[in-house]
Amino acid sequence: MSAILAQLLTGVAYGMLYFMIAAGLTIILGVMNVVNLAHGTLFMLGAYIAFTFINDELSFWISLLLAVFLTAVLGLVLEKWLIKPVYGKELEQVLLTFGLSFIIADTVEWIWGTEMHTLPTPDLLSGSLSIGSTEFPVYRLFVVLVGCLLAWLLWYLETKTRIGAIIRAGVDDRAMVSALGVNVGLVFTGVFAFGAALAGLSGVLGGPLIGMYTGMDNEILVTSLIVVVIGGLGSWKGSFIGAIAVGVIETFGKVWFPSLSMLIVFLIMMMVLIVRPQGLFGREVV
Amino acid sequence: MKKLLFGAVLLIALVFAMPLVLSDFGINLATEIYIMAIFAMSLGLIMGYAGMVSLGHAGFFGIGAYTVAVIGQHVANTYLLLLLAVVISGLIALVTGVVFIRTSKFYFLMITLAFGQLLYVLFWQLKTWTGGADGMSVSAVMNFGFGEIVSPNGLYYVMGLAFVISYFLLHLFVESPAGRITRGVMENEARMSALGHNVRAYKLLVYTLSGSLAGLAGALYAYFNVFVSPDLSSWMFSGQVMVMAIIGGVGTLLGPALGASIFIYLQNFMSTYTERWPMIMGVLLVALVLAGKGGLIHWLQHGRRLLVSRKRTGEAVSQQPVKKGEAVH
Repeated sequence: MSAILAQLLTGVAYGMLYFMIAAGLTIILGVMNVVNLAHGTLFMLGAYIAFTFINDELSFWISLLLAVFLTAVLGLVLEKWLIKPVYGKELEQVLLTFGLSFIIADTVEWIWGTEMHTLPTPDLLSGSLSIGSTEFPVYRLFVVLVGCLLAWLLWYLETKTRIGAIIRAGVDDRAMVSALGVNVGLVFTGVFAFGAALAGLSGVLGGPLIGMYTGMDNEILVTSLIVVVIGGLGSWKGSFIGAIAVGVIETFGKVWFPSLSMLIVFLIMMMVLIVRPQGLFGREVV
Repeated sequence: MKKLLFGAVLLIALVFAMPLVLSDFGINLATEIYIMAIFAMSLGLIMGYAGMVSLGHAGFFGIGAYTVAVIGQHVANTYLLLLLAVVISGLIALVTGVVFIRTSKFYFLMITLAFGQLLYVLFWQLKTWTGGADGMSVSAVMNFGFGEIVSPNGLYYVMGLAFVISYFLLHLFVESPAGRITRGVMENEARMSALGHNVRAYKLLVYTLSGSLAGLAGALYAYFNVFVSPDLSSWMFSGQVMVMAIIGGVGTLLGPALGASIFIYLQNFMSTYTERWPMIMGVLLVALVLAGKGGLIHWLQHGRRLLVSRKRTGEAVSQQPVKKGEAVH
């Protein structure tokens, strides 16, 4: 029983990690209609940047902030220089972000090599909490907490703030919002940078959990795409539910059918799509 | 029909004459190019004639390759193995396609990506059958009933012939009523639906065809390379074949094949200088998008049209290249 509880926590912690990265993906997708295939690579980059700072004797938290800041700046630069010219051209966006993911991933390999690394768990969060007979690693609880906070923050931003209102309106009718004097271009740049920052954040937080290795960007991208597809395009609420489901199913799958966990997740995605082609919380027409 | 016959003779003559001028290395390269050309044509078919952009096409390529590698340990018959590769990849395309084609645009792209990567992981994890990350060598040898084909020249002719046959089969399909309806679906799905055509059935048909052709390319690759690994199904490879199709030009059959030859040549050329091939490919992709004016074959067509229109002045230029922005549906 306690083993199952511990597994469940692990699953939810992974799920929160997936949520953090899928939220960035889905916000960019929902607001700007851009599939950012370099999103997984930004996740990886975040982890590696933090790794370098931590090796330079900086604390985990400062490294985290620096990594998030730098990925956000990179997102800003990418949006300004490369993504902006291809708004509304889907195939171009796909090719462009696909190319970017190759460039960034190969740069990471060039700088940091191909060997495996892990980020150390910060001292404050090492150790575990025992409740009854079950041991819960504190760091995993922390990741779950951050995920919930992020979900609350997104909900708050979307429903209670002016910027959320602008973004919601911008999704529906960009020309109208623009005519009302809102600088939509600036909002889009901000959204893209925010998405990149989320990728960087989840990369650093995921570092102690899943480690860092070449190819991790592809794995995380595919998982987050599945999360987005299950949850419904552009709905971060769907991402939240989808991510927890994928995290838990994957974790239990790894225990019971070690080599087929990915297949199980994929089959669940297929099943969701058979019943609801637009995903659990997706809008009718995409 | 006359034009087709002329084209056929020209293509076959070209394939047969090439070894006369090529070095051993060149023959090997050309053999690989034929295989990749088949693969690129299979993707070009769904992209350019049905408007479906798949980022998981390497999955079918891998299925074909592993069919020859795994089943080839027990079955020696080349005809049977190639048939199995085509049928298995076609069946998997059919079954997954039923779900995939219900979605559109980004959804289709994302799901196919996930599908390809799933197969990659499966080939990786089913170690007992596939050798896992180390891959496996292919023990089956090509034999069509008149001796084993192992020499570079022999393989060259087989792959060349396979390319020519694939091209003409695709040509027949594209020009057939079914092919024309598929293209109609790409242009305007609602209208074709209103005309009483079962839109989904045509999409599924062309997706299945494309999947089985990619499987054939994979099977041929297994014979050519005598070694298979999970990388054959990675999304990087799916992306490469997409790049091939696009640099050549989507919306024609020969465009992707042309793109494949340029890509493979470039790749071989570059890899002698640097191992940073992924980065070069990334830069190529970004440059391609920023320069963005269709593929090479469209430039060629445009050039030819310019020449023709100069001869007969005033003739309207009717045939527009496919607008790339509209290709994702």
